[in-house]
Amino acid sequence: MSRLASQLRSFVRTALRGLRASPLTTAVSVATIAITLVLIGSFVVVVENMQGMLERFGEDLHVSLYLEDGLSDAELEGLAERVETVEGVDAVELVSKEQALQRFEAGVGARTGLLEALEENPLPASLEVTLLAARRTPEGLAVVIESIDGLPGIAEVAYGQQWVETYARAVALVRGAAFGLGAVLALAAFLIVANTIRLAVYARSDELEIVSLVGGSRTFVNAPFLLEGMIQGGAGAALALVILYALFRLLLPGFEAGLELLVGYAEPAFLSPGGMLRIVLGGAALGAVGSAAALAGSWRP
Amino acid sequence: MRRGVQVADRPSDESLVRMYHVSKSYLAGSWALRDVSLEIGKGELVFLTGPSGAGKTTLLRLLFAAERPSEGQIIVCGRNIARLREGAIPALRRRVSVVFQDFKLLHRRTIEENVAIALEVVGTSPRAARGRVFQVLKQVGLQHRRYHHPLSLSGGEQQRVAIARALVSEPEVLLADEPTGSLDPDLTIEIMDLIASAAARGTTVIVATHDVGLVQRYRKRTLHLEAGRVRTDAPDTGASV
Repeated sequence: MSRLASQLRSFVRTALRGLRASPLTTAVSVATIAITLVLIGSFVVVVENMQGMLERFGEDLHVSLYLEDGLSDAELEGLAERVETVEGVDAVELVSKEQALQRFEAGVGARTGLLEALEENPLPASLEVTLLAARRTPEGLAVVIESIDGLPGIAEVAYGQQWVETYARAVALVRGAAFGLGAVLALAAFLIVANTIRLAVYARSDELEIVSLVGGSRTFVNAPFLLEGMIQGGAGAALALVILYALFRLLLPGFEAGLELLVGYAEPAFLSPGGMLRIVLGGAALGAVGSAAALAGSWRP
Repeated sequence: MRRGVQVADRPSDESLVRMYHVSKSYLAGSWALRDVSLEIGKGELVFLTGPSGAGKTTLLRLLFAAERPSEGQIIVCGRNIARLREGAIPALRRRVSVVFQDFKLLHRRTIEENVAIALEVVGTSPRAARGRVFQVLKQVGLQHRRYHHPLSLSGGEQQRVAIARALVSEPEVLLADEPTGSLDPDLTIEIMDLIASAAARGTTVIVATHDVGLVQRYRKRTLHLEAGRVRTDAPDTGASV
């Protein structure tokens, strides 16, 4: 076994011995990190789902250009070709007045009697514009609309921008709240880990003195404490994921019903594997940073 | 016995410990050690004697870099303590072992683990460490107690464990600060014999003690300190113990 492997083994053994030596303190620290990460993770789940919905709305995003009456077929074709050249436009479909009426009739179904009273077709012809994927954002949409609006022959531009903008603002708000709250909670967890490790350093000051006397380096003294912090952080994060998943399953029916009611669509998802890995690594990093802060200046040869 | 201390103009290559006009002050105007110069050769056993507060412990602490001199130069195993970087101290301590009056053992660890810690810090493999620890515990007669914990051992046995820990890494210098201070006379001889045997194997040994009987029994070179100064440097009379 190489010297490095021996030392790593020694660090792990010392770290585990340290955790076993103060089980209550370790348990409190792990539980605190878990609670903190459950709260942060809840926000991450909500933000990821809202983001997913925003992307889905983007895929369905169309712009309808209602045209003035009286345009000839050639003018309609020309206008469609003109719109197709606008940057950000993927495809343009020309819907004539007749086609619009047919679609309306198909939409209202059995109640076609309503239309029989009309003397002439009141529906305008329109151009249904599909945007390039990169432009399916409130900002991208605005740029495209600016280029189209005002073209001769276009009576009205209709799109769901206001709704999309409001929703995007909500996503940004939730994300900002998650970030702010996450930072506060992470700071609290960091202080608790740092305090736990500081207590461990005091409790084992005799050991540290002896290690230092026999020639233990700063790394040899500090590495087991950093590992302890990482183990506490990683264990807290793993526990948080278990709690979070249990809560997700428990609250899923109500969450789905709410989404159906609000947006007519409900496919709430738990954290992605990458998201879960990030939470575990984040927990371990939190533990390591907390330990590092506790150890700063503690090694005196 | 000669008065005062003379340091050779050209230091001997065999000198592992050299001090040149070393002073140490913890408070302005008050000297724990004052203008100490000495040389100690390889394999030499030297007693440091003197009343409490004479500067014995301060002198030892300077030699393993627990303190830095206020004035003067100290060379231990070729390293200048006054200029030693903090990060270089562990490397020095792997060549300079220390034994204390209060043993400084870890009560939650077994005897074997207590001794092995000095090998762990240099990354010795567990298997090699076990073999070496067994060997050194056998030297101090405690191989059969290796899985016991320190508190189940007598004071003399605990000090033997501390000596085993100090010797397991085969140091070039062994410092002992009142190693027999808390032991009865029979155990004192037992422990001192173990320390002296390290010198016989080539380790430079410096023992701080105020036990006059011990010094008279071994009749080795003795530096007597008073008020931080070396008052006398009595040479080794070559007596066998």
